Order: sequence, then C-alpha cells, then structure tokens
Amino acid sequence: MLELAIGIILGCCALGAGICMGIGAIGPGMGEGQAVSKACEAIGRQPESKGAVTSTMIMGCAVAETTGIYSLVIAILLIFVAPGLMVDILKSAL
Amino acid sequence: MRKVEAAVWRETIYVVCWTAVLSVLLQAVFLILGKWDLTVLFGNLWGAFASVLNFFLMGLGVQNAVAKEDPKDAKKVLQLSQSMRFLLLALFAIGGVLISLFHTVAALVPFVFPQFGMLFRPRFGGMDKEGGA
Repeated sequence: MLELAIGIILGCCALGAGICMGIGAIGPGMGEGQAVSKACEAIGRQPESKGAVTSTMIMGCAVAETTGIYSLVIAILLIFVAPGLMVDILKSAL
Repeated sequence: MRKVEAAVWRETIYVVCWTAVLSVLLQAVFLILGKWDLTVLFGNLWGAFASVLNFFLMGLGVQNAVAKEDPKDAKKVLQLSQSMRFLLLALFAIGGVLISLFHTVAALVPFVFPQFGMLFRPRFGGMDKEGGA
C-alpha cells in the first residue's frame, strides 16, 4: 500500500512538473517572438531608432520571461524536492 | 563574431547591480533566520551567475534578432535563443539542487532577481533618449 502511495506521489509530481513547464514556457516563447517581430518592423520603418528599440526590447523580454522562469523553478522543485518531502510526510503519518 | 551593443552591456551592468543588492538581502534573510552557512553563499553565487548569464545571452539574442530584416527570421532567432537559455537555466537549476555544496533555496531564488530588477527599470532612470524609451 505504501509503495502504491509513493508511486502515485512520484507520478503526480512528474506530471505536475511536465504540465507546469510545458504551459509555462509557451507564453514567454510566443510573447518574445511576437515582440521582436514587431520591433523588426519598427526598425524597418525607422532605422535610426534601433538603439532605443533594442534597449526597450531587452526590458520587455526580461519581463515576459518571468513566468517561464517561475515555471522552471517550480518544475525543478516538483521533480527534485517535493517527492522526498511528500514521502517523508506520508511515512511519518503512517 | 558580432560586437556586443552598448545597450546590452548597460542593461547587463544594471542587472548585475540589482542581483548583487538582492543577493545581499537574501544572505541577510538567512542570517536573521539563523540558517546561514557557506552552502547558502555558494548557492547564491551559483544562482546569481546563472541568472546574469541568462540575461546577457538574452540581450545578445535580442541584438541578433533586431539585426534581421525579416520579422519571421527575428522571431525564430529569439525563440531558439529562449529555448536554449531555458535549457541552460534548467541545467544550472538541477546543479543547484543536486550538488550538496549549494543550498537549494539560495541557488533557485536568484533566478528571478534580474526580472525583479527590470520591473523597476523605468523608475531608476537609466533609459536615456538614445538607448531607451
């Protein structure tokens, strides 16, 4: 019974990490791609604004990436830290 | 090899400063909680290095992307850059968790320091007329 519970915990943690990273990385990827394509169009129209656009783009990309990095950290915790904690809690409860 | 633009250096230096300040705060929090040891310091350095490296590579990716004439090419360049950087960050994060020399929390928390700094970027001046909005 304990082995089954541990197996379920490990499976759920792995599944959660996969979903977290999979969904979390979609937003930044799409957002950054969209932003840079618009930046290219802007530079095409006004080539002299390249420095300003680059600087603003770096800031925008950093902010857009935040959710992806949160997801990455949570996924790593779910894979490497959470299973051990959950199993310890389970064992102490039984 | 393409020259790194001044805007990328400037933003990276800003992020390094923010990361340093927030790292000191993180160390202080661990000291106050009474859980400070050398693994916290090493973990913090590891995570801070990874996050600054990620930010610098992102700057290079943006620089390369805006140099493209076709918006579709630019999009692909930045998406590839993002995938590779996430892979790099994942390796650093796994290292931070698995290597016993590093405290897990102290290694993972600095990953968000550059983003935290960029949220306050407009408030702290720096975006001059030539280099920013």
